[in-house]
Formats: sequence, C-alpha cells, structure tokens
Amino acid sequence: MSKRSKRKVLSTRTLVRRAVGAAAAAGAFAVVVWLGYRGLFDITYAQSIVDDLLDGLVVTLIAVAVVIPVGFVVGFSFGWARTTRSWVLRATGTTYVEFFRSMPPLVLIVFSSLVISLLLRTYLYVEDPFAIALGVGILALALHSGSYQAEIVRAGILSVPTGQVEAAEALGLTRMQTMFRVTLPQAFRVSLPALGNEFAVVIKDTSLISAIGGLEVSFAGSALVRGAIELSLNHVFIIWVEVALLYFLLTTIVTVTVRKVENRYKVPGLEAAAL
Amino acid sequence: MIQVRQVHKSYGDLHVLKGVNLEIAKGQVMCMIGPSGSGKSTLLRCINLLIHPDKGDIYIGDVRITSPEIRPEWVRQQVGMVFQSFNLFTHLSALKNVMLGLTRVKKMDSEEARRKATWDLQRVGLGDKLDAYPAQLSGGQQQRVAIARALAMDPMAMLFDEPTSALDPEYIHEVLDVMTQLANEGMTMLVVTHEMGFAKNAASEVVFMDQGQIVEHGTPVEIFERPGHDRTKAFVSKILG
Repeated sequence: MSKRSKRKVLSTRTLVRRAVGAAAAAGAFAVVVWLGYRGLFDITYAQSIVDDLLDGLVVTLIAVAVVIPVGFVVGFSFGWARTTRSWVLRATGTTYVEFFRSMPPLVLIVFSSLVISLLLRTYLYVEDPFAIALGVGILALALHSGSYQAEIVRAGILSVPTGQVEAAEALGLTRMQTMFRVTLPQAFRVSLPALGNEFAVVIKDTSLISAIGGLEVSFAGSALVRGAIELSLNHVFIIWVEVALLYFLLTTIVTVTVRKVENRYKVPGLEAAAL
Repeated sequence: MIQVRQVHKSYGDLHVLKGVNLEIAKGQVMCMIGPSGSGKSTLLRCINLLIHPDKGDIYIGDVRITSPEIRPEWVRQQVGMVFQSFNLFTHLSALKNVMLGLTRVKKMDSEEARRKATWDLQRVGLGDKLDAYPAQLSGGQQQRVAIARALAMDPMAMLFDEPTSALDPEYIHEVLDVMTQLANEGMTMLVVTHEMGFAKNAASEVVFMDQGQIVEHGTPVEIFERPGHDRTKAFVSKILG
C-alpha cells in the first residue's frame, strides 16, 4: 500500500528535477533555433544526414542487443561459478575473467574476427566471411563485457550473509533452492547499479566494431565527415552532435530501464539513507 | 527424542567436540551453558546436520541421522533451528520468510502456506507485522519471526543457539516469553543460553559444556546454586557476576 502511494505523490525534489530537465531541453532547442536563424546551423544539412546515421544506428542496436544479453548470461554464469565449492568451476571462472579482462576490447574484436575469417576462407572455402567475422567480433565484445559483469555478480553473491544460507538449509531447502530463492535475488539487487554502469560502458564500446567494418553509428559519422563535399566546421559539428545524441538516447533508455528494475527490487527498510 | 552418542568433530588440529553424550526426552526443555568456543554451537549444528560429525551417532526418534542414507534436508525438517543473529531473509517480508519453507520444502500451495504462516506469526504475537520487512522490525520482532519460521515446519524439536545474545536488553523478554510459551506447550527444546531466569523457569535440565565435553548436568538449581565441578563453579560465578 505504501508502494502505491509513493508512486502517485511526487516529491518536491522529483518535481524540481523534472523542471530543470525540461528547462535544459527547451534551452538547448532554443540555442539550435537561434543558431539556425543566424545561419550558423545548417538545418537542411542536419536533416539530410539523419538517414545515413539511422542506418548505422540499426547496426549499433543489433550489436547492443547481442552484447548486453550474451554478456549478462556469460558474466552471470562465470561470476556464480567463482563462488561455488567446486575448484574446477572456480578455476574456470577465474581463467575466463582474468583473460578477457586483461585484453583491450579492440584487440579482442580485431583478432577474433581476423582469425575466424582466415579459418573460414582457408578450410571451408567461404568466399566472403564478412558477416560471420562481424558476428564473432561482436561476440568477442560480449565476452569482454561478461568478464566485468562476472566480477559484479560475484561481489553481489558475496554480499549475502552466510547466516542466511545456513538458515535456508536449516529449513530443509536444498542447495539449489537456497541459491535461487535466497542468494541470487539478493545478489541481483545489490549488483544492479554496477550492472547498469557496465551496460552504459558497453553501449559505447560497440563503436569498436567499426574497426572490422561494422557500419555502426560512429562509423557512419566518420564516413559522412570523409565524404562531405565541402567540409565546413559547421557540418562536422552537426554530424558529431547527432552521433552523440543517438548514443545519449540509447544509453538513457538502457539506464532508465535498469533503474526501473532497481526500483522493483527495492526492499523496504533497506534504502540508503538520503543525504 | 534426541540422542547424541560419543560425537566427535575436529577442524584440522582443533578438536571441537570430544565424545559428547546427550539425551533429550520428548517434551523436555534442556538448557546448555558454557564458555564461548566450548563447542555448544557445533553440537547444535550436528543435531540438524548443518555440520556432519566425524565420529559417533545421533538419533532423532528411532532414526540414526548420522547414517549416510539419510538426506540432510529430511533431518532439518524434523528439527527447527533459531540462530543468534536471526538470519531472516532480508529481501522477503515476515510472511514470505515463514512461507518459503512451506511452499518449497513442504510443497504446500501458496494459499494454504499463507494461512499457516499467518497463524504461526500470530502465535509469536506478530499478526500485525505480516507485510513488514526484516529491516523494518526490531531485533526482538525479527527473532520472533525467525521462531515462527522454524515452527511453521512443524518440527519434532527446536534448537536455539543463543537466541537472545544479539538483542538489546529491552527486547530479550519478548523472545523469552515466546520460548516459555513453547516450552509450556510441550515442545522439545535444546537451548544454548545464559539467561538464568529462563533456565530456572522453563528448563528441567541444564548441562555445562567446556572444551568440547559435557562437564556436568543437573537441574537448574543444582547447576546454578550447587555446581559440583570446579570448572562449572568458575563459569557460573562469572555469569552471575
């Protein structure tokens, strides 16, 4: 009941925050209109490049749609593996984390896609392995992100007091039931802010697949810069502002979603003290 | 009801239990006292197989639970346990804390489990706190939820591991009241506690444990007022202040 009433009545702080946000957006819009009016912002050009950037956005979206879920599932599994009693699982988890965490994502992406396309060409006589190589590069990024998420999940699991596990076992719950009913829900709740952070990072890391020919947003942006007939500072500025806005939009959608999930997992009495 | 025979447990070089014998009759309330590190908690955890003894046997009723064919999950349903630090599941409301074992272990459907859990929480005087989360409850209330959670499984006996040691003084009596009421209802109980008042009121026998062995046992009056053994004397005079 308290949950519902909280959702309806907005605090003054929330209202102020929203008002400031709306004012900032209106201000930015006014600046653009004013620049356009003074002839300093080429609105026709700004509109003409939107289609190209949206094509890039589709590729970025596909990459994000692969990297976040795959990274989460892989990260979750290995993070959990590192907390088990089996030393084989623990060693596997540690090896995975240490390997993928110590590689620059760019190196992982370029190396894995190169190796796969060479293999495909040499042994399976695939003429144009570009799409597969691109997919493998995206997966390599997912595994890189997974190594960070594994540590986040492990920290979450370690944050659950062992006394609760003992209490669950004392009730007659099996190890699996204890894991899924007691440990993981609490580990997940604790991990969410850090996971949201990692998602925001990896969205921007998808720009690295441009190195293996993935035509994503930032690649589309730099292609526009290179292909511009008359390269004015004005146009370059417009291109990167639009690219930045698309990333901002994408990141905001993901982080707002994570915050929604966070709120759903909120435990009454366990909120951090408001400073 | 519970028989402990020649139980040994070691951790590396540390010999925690050195051949403990204990017998608790049905409906009996036994209190256990002793300095920290004497093996009281370890013994309690052996009785519901949270810890498996190295040597010796433990019987619950006629069942030898130390036999390898016995599933630990089965044993734990027969014996409820209450911990010093409550150990409530912090992400679940009081009601859900009590329901978890009912739905997952006893496989009750959730309506029935809700009814049973509500009743058990009313039994410990928390009928008005069903939807409260552990962090919203006082220590005394949390410990009473923990008692309800263990009781809901309809155990044959209850183990209490220093149930009031982590409580502020003002909350101790409400937990002891619930335990006394349980004792009066005929629950078989083994209680590790230094609450002399409770031992005198509710227990028929007090055992003193030291260095992994039961040193002495007797009625509360015998142990607290006329201890026979020097080590018991020294310890009792310390807790009496």
